[in-house]
Amino acid sequence: MKEFKPLPARPAPIQTAGPIGWIRNNLFPTPLNSLVTLLILAFLATIIPDLVSWLFIDADWEGETQAACTSEGACWVFVSAWMQQFLYGSYPTDEIWRINLAILVLGAVIAAPYLLPKDLRNKVGVPLFLAFPFVGAAFLDGRLFGLEFVSTDYWGGFTLNIFLASASIIIAFPLSFLWALGRRSDMPFTKSVCIVLIEFFRGVPVLALFFMGSVMLPLFFPEGTNVDKLLRVWIVLILFMSGYMAEVFRGGFAAIPQGQYEAADSLGLSYWQKTLLIILPQVIKVSMPNILATFIMLFKNTTFLLIIGIFEILSTTQTALSNSNWLGGHAAEGYLFVALVFWVCCFGMSLISANIERKLDTSHRS
Amino acid sequence: MSQEQRNQSQVATANRSFFNNPRNRALIYQFLLLLGLGYFFYNIVSNTLANMEARGIKSGFDFLFTASGFDILMTLIPYDATSTYGRTFVVGLLNTILVSAVGIFFATIIGFIMGVAYFSRNWLINRLSIIYVETFRNIPLLLQVFFWYFAVLAALPSPRESMSFGESIFLNVRGLFLPEVVGEPGSNWVVFAFFAGLGITWYIKKWAKKRQDETGEQFPVLSTGLAIILGLPLLAMLITGIPFYLEYPELKGFSFRGGVTVIPELMALTVALSVYTGTFIAEAVRAGIQSVPHGQTEAARSIGMKERKIMSLIIVPQAMRVIVPLLNSEYQSLVKNSTLATAIGYPDLFTVFVGTSLNQTGQAIEIVFMTMAVYFVINMIISFLMNRFNASVALVERK
Repeated sequence: MKEFKPLPARPAPIQTAGPIGWIRNNLFPTPLNSLVTLLILAFLATIIPDLVSWLFIDADWEGETQAACTSEGACWVFVSAWMQQFLYGSYPTDEIWRINLAILVLGAVIAAPYLLPKDLRNKVGVPLFLAFPFVGAAFLDGRLFGLEFVSTDYWGGFTLNIFLASASIIIAFPLSFLWALGRRSDMPFTKSVCIVLIEFFRGVPVLALFFMGSVMLPLFFPEGTNVDKLLRVWIVLILFMSGYMAEVFRGGFAAIPQGQYEAADSLGLSYWQKTLLIILPQVIKVSMPNILATFIMLFKNTTFLLIIGIFEILSTTQTALSNSNWLGGHAAEGYLFVALVFWVCCFGMSLISANIERKLDTSHRS
Repeated sequence: MSQEQRNQSQVATANRSFFNNPRNRALIYQFLLLLGLGYFFYNIVSNTLANMEARGIKSGFDFLFTASGFDILMTLIPYDATSTYGRTFVVGLLNTILVSAVGIFFATIIGFIMGVAYFSRNWLINRLSIIYVETFRNIPLLLQVFFWYFAVLAALPSPRESMSFGESIFLNVRGLFLPEVVGEPGSNWVVFAFFAGLGITWYIKKWAKKRQDETGEQFPVLSTGLAIILGLPLLAMLITGIPFYLEYPELKGFSFRGGVTVIPELMALTVALSVYTGTFIAEAVRAGIQSVPHGQTEAARSIGMKERKIMSLIIVPQAMRVIVPLLNSEYQSLVKNSTLATAIGYPDLFTVFVGTSLNQTGQAIEIVFMTMAVYFVINMIISFLMNRFNASVALVERK
């Protein structure tokens, strides 16, 4: 008996599979699409070589002063010469280890809930988290720790953006949760106070709030008290952030099924036990992507502080651009560097947020 | 148990549970909150009054009627240094409305194009859409404003060597110079014809809807409407003998005269605002279209609808339900972000009022609150309009 021997499978037609098939399907599916593809390719072909040569090939990488920038391309010397200012502002060079240490601690505090054993997470992680802004500020200031005193006038650079944004969101967390609770409470007066607070801080341009912080807040304090400028900015940022976060939490509350409240009630938990042990963890879990999105917005908005004269990174860039030793028109290089720094941070956070969202997504839609 | 005993036990329970009664607790908490707030505001008001007296700051709104003494770079209504602060306020408000309206217009166009481009079969277009959104969304807006203003527009050629498009549009470091359409007598008729066309189209739309409800017959409202709206003014123009001419900008001395000038500050701000907000609108459009289950398209195909009808009758109306509320908040944040004008000196409300006027008068409280109120009102108007629009696209439940 003859054994059945199938012929070897033929390769898929070259027009539908493989690189050629892919190009046909994705770049030239219809005449109109082909035309658009060609136009885009032509456009890219004209700009990419020029861009690459300006950015990398013709660029000046090494040197200390503007004199090192002799070629046609970008002058990255400008960025490297000002790097310390961009990152740390005018903080004394000998004390910069304090900023680096604080950044490390910030990272550790964020990572703590994942590393600590389960029973310590809330007892240690949360107080660490809430204490960080105050301890960190005191550490950078130095007086309380017996270190050299560095006035807030010298704080600046990108690390200031990071600290201001994180210190604000950390304090805004409990505050906004209270506001959100107030907004959904049955007490009419509390409810209206919370609504007014939330809508005020959401409805007003953040710049107006910053101006309020810099020109109006000093009028609110008793005569003679001189409140630090950075502290006033911090207060404004916290309130601004709380307004937005309260709305995020409101969305989170709406996603918690009524049964959770009823189950907690039937166990005989008190209001605060119910809220903090049953509802809050679920609300945070549900609203994590939105919290991160709000944080990204706040982080980008810290550049607005330039307008009231805080030396964050963009403000430092503007100073560097108008420095008499660097009047060569390095705006493009400076802005590209700042843009890159922000882009990496914000894009990274949005990836994390998308990842969380995917993990939490239990819908069966694809 | 005797009646007396029962009463006693009730009283005892009532006594014990006075603080455990949710109603009483709510009252006490709210009373405490009221006390706290009252104390807080009393402190603030008394501190502020004392501070203002100590610093010799006047209060009240009299300053609105005194001469401002400064000039403004760009005004939509006549204004000079002898005008009052009240007029400064109006000039700034109009400039804010201008930049917000233009920004919203372009942001919507960019956003919708990029949002739809995400679903293109063309791999390059899809990638371009993603790259656009991910790049510009993650860079601070102020940085983008600076980039366009200091790195791009400041690198444009001088007026003498300006870039020219057909000898009628000029672009140089001083701004964009466009020809102006000037109306001659009779041009009013053309404008009137345009509005008449709008009115007639609205009437036709109502009539067509009624006819379709009654008989099921459809009427091509869109094409007829467009024909009427464009045709009537055209007809009026021909009858009155084209009562318009273009005034071209001309190089005189060091700059251009005549025509319409778009100052670089306005250009930079508009470009940055529309590109930045466009990314969020693109995301909203993408989310909206993705929210429509694929089954809807399949169902529409299976009952034999044409592809274009599927888009306009099935997909878009359902996607709009998701898109419109998101658009609402994006438009509001665009208006709020337009205050960044103050960083490059575009004379919007914030720059001329909270910036210059506050510096000169020192009346921080009045000025900051007036400005906040304006942004509040603008945002409430946007919110109101978008909610009306939202109601028209929202899901109508079975009755």
